[in-house]
Amino acid sequence: MSGVADDLACELLAQSLVAWHVTGSVARASDGALVIGGNRKDIRIDRAPPHSMFRWTVTVDGRKRAAISLVAVLRQVREALDPGYAASRVRIAVAPLLPSQ
Amino acid sequence: MSAQVIPVSVLTGFLGSGKTTMLRHLLRQPEFSRTAVIINEFGEVGLDHELIEASEDSFIELQTGCLCCKIRSDLAQTLQDLLRRRDEGRCAPFERIVIETSGLADPAPILQTLMTDATMTGRLVLGGVVTTVDAVNGAGTLAREEISRKQVAVADRIVLTKLDLAGPTEPVLLRRLEAFNAGAPVLIADHGRIDPQLAFSAGLYDPRTKSTDVNAWLAQETHGHAHARHDAGITAYAIVRREPIRAVALTLFLEALTEHCGNDMLRLKGLVNILESPERPAVIHGVQHVFHAPAWLDRWPSDDRRSRIVCITRRVPQRWVELLLEAIGEEVADVRR
Repeated sequence: MSGVADDLACELLAQSLVAWHVTGSVARASDGALVIGGNRKDIRIDRAPPHSMFRWTVTVDGRKRAAISLVAVLRQVREALDPGYAASRVRIAVAPLLPSQ
Repeated sequence: MSAQVIPVSVLTGFLGSGKTTMLRHLLRQPEFSRTAVIINEFGEVGLDHELIEASEDSFIELQTGCLCCKIRSDLAQTLQDLLRRRDEGRCAPFERIVIETSGLADPAPILQTLMTDATMTGRLVLGGVVTTVDAVNGAGTLAREEISRKQVAVADRIVLTKLDLAGPTEPVLLRRLEAFNAGAPVLIADHGRIDPQLAFSAGLYDPRTKSTDVNAWLAQETHGHAHARHDAGITAYAIVRREPIRAVALTLFLEALTEHCGNDMLRLKGLVNILESPERPAVIHGVQHVFHAPAWLDRWPSDDRRSRIVCITRRVPQRWVELLLEAIGEEVADVRR
């Protein structure tokens, strides 16, 4: 299960549609799933069962895919809704993640 | 940071906006006596270098094309050569480098080169971006030229020139400058004359004090509201967080931001309180999809230990950026439990 609160995940998805200039709306279904409507795709996002190595399941037009993180969920949703989307990969100069002591 | 770190300032601005005139004045100032200059002109025959009086051994002109689009590798090579000559005592021991870009240059790739070239890591640091704007033609140029807007948007300092020809500064120009980059102070150069410290003190690294001035670098965006009233969709805002951010969460956040925003994240700079490094904050900065390796300060520059991340974007909603950071932070925290 993801530790992200339902409200936070819902608002993030809704704001993501705004950021991507994609039409649609996000709602919470009675079973807790997040449902994106208002466009040509039928998208549903469920939390993965406990003890799953994944945290989310994204269903697009009936096709299920697991997502290991919310970042992966966003990527899958964007790919489904925005056919022209091509992810930019970050480039970071080589350096330690934390400072040397 | 090491005392050997040399700041590289980028002097940019649209064609005819007075970059060379200002640089010529600056190089006559004692504070700029130990400055290496790289000039790039667009076109077959360069002229600007003829107008600059500087010692030849620390002056380089790049003529192969516009710096931003053709010769990024040349820039990296040139900077490496300069450092080598300095190390070997074959040129004056300069303490800063100024790159004057072509008037048609998109500054982003130049900044990216400075940030990411591994051979320069640890020796050079971005010392700030100064953008000249012609007070006579500036408003029209900003309205017409995308490159001009970008040059203004990424600036740490904006310098108005040719006020003697324009008379009182047009309110419309000031409004446009504020719209594109409200965080950058607007300075005035009188026939190229300007206080060097005012113009070039915006960088993360101050060669005089050999220290960092993060607060100045982050400028005014961190002091409150977003500046989001922009006719070209360019906005500047600050994400402020009181709780420390896990290193992994910051990395995932930057990756997601880059993945989804790409070229619309014109510039990002920040001072971040990393959970795993509470006494040494991380300084981050990126241009579009390229990020500099984090610089770790020896200590907090003030009692304010909040993370402050300034974003200059094209149509990237502030709320989305805030939610993204918050959600990733929660998810990473849950993994660690």
